[in-house]
Amino acid sequence: MALRLMLASSRIASHLRISVSHRAFSSVVLKDLKYADSHEWVKIEGNKATVGITDHAQEHLGDVVYVKLPDVGRSVSQGESFGAVESVKATSDINSPISGKVLQVNKDLSESPALVNSSPYEEGWIMKVELSDAGEVKKLMDSDKYSKFCEEEDSKH
Amino acid sequence: MRSPRTLEVWRLGTVNYLKSLKIQDKLVSERKAHQIPDTLLSLEHPPTYTLGKRRTDHNLLIPQSELTKIGAELHYTQRGGDITFHGPHQAILYPIISLRSIGFGARNYVETLERSMIEFASMYGVKARPGNKCETGVWVGDRKIGAIGVRITSGITCHGLAFNIDPDLKYFEHIVPCGIADKEVTSLRRETDALLPSEEVIHKQLITCLANAFSYDDVVWKEDPSVILDTKDVE
Repeated sequence: MALRLMLASSRIASHLRISVSHRAFSSVVLKDLKYADSHEWVKIEGNKATVGITDHAQEHLGDVVYVKLPDVGRSVSQGESFGAVESVKATSDINSPISGKVLQVNKDLSESPALVNSSPYEEGWIMKVELSDAGEVKKLMDSDKYSKFCEEEDSKH
Repeated sequence: MRSPRTLEVWRLGTVNYLKSLKIQDKLVSERKAHQIPDTLLSLEHPPTYTLGKRRTDHNLLIPQSELTKIGAELHYTQRGGDITFHGPHQAILYPIISLRSIGFGARNYVETLERSMIEFASMYGVKARPGNKCETGVWVGDRKIGAIGVRITSGITCHGLAFNIDPDLKYFEHIVPCGIADKEVTSLRRETDALLPSEEVIHKQLITCLANAFSYDDVVWKEDPSVILDTKDVE
């Protein structure tokens, strides 16, 4: 498991040319993304954002069999549900880390929902959003804070 | 040192499915706002077929118009999972719990629900097992005895599990249960020769197995179900 994560994250790291911290048995957290405490990530590029769920989220969900994508054109609000994923007979709402308008959704997830598990930060992206309030990003966690947050959550049981 | 965790249990008897959804919605909001502790509803439904978020109604094998003839309702829900049947003598548990406060994800949660049912079945000498991949639920051999369908919003759970004590299994013939063809549905009555105590006792045992599986320190048995059943916002 750790080896698979290291290979996957090294591949992602070399592609994106960023450093990734490896701790035994921890999930992958990428340095250039921002994170919500409901385990969604967002990549900000100008006033556009790409959103998905984190490696920690997909590990804790189990095999994703269905992704309910939002409609293109609808608005999303920070902290509010915009869709859902189903795994192990559980439908889990996914919340938007930022507010704005949905520009594009990842249609590949309709045929291949498991992309969320195998590639949560790349091919498993869920939606692209035009930001309505760039200031909101300040409320999100950076990679270090998110890593610590995950550790604290996992130590609760 | 972590603070003690309490589970409040409401035993509601037979509750109409839609009413149970409204009760759960209210409890989920209250749990999210930290107004109530983790809460468990223990109940039964009148004959009811339900579908999950994926709306797999091709797994209902009779026309919807026939349902009233057999005395059953059909409801579409937001839970995970496929089509299933709920009815008398099937024990239903709907835990409304905060997964974030125990650091659980969907997978851990569902696996713990499975363990609760397996533990309960073992009290009657029934060796049950969790499902294989894509077959979440509890099985005795190739026969399904317990079903799971869950919804998680902002880390709070609703819906839950259904364990077959002695329901009329003929109702399952009108569906492809959980979307899995060629596998039977069974019940505790069918799988054990042991004398079954009253359903009240059986429900209490199942609840206790769940409370233990989730390591609750304290279980509070709420005495007056009308508090939950008769609230003004729930009709």
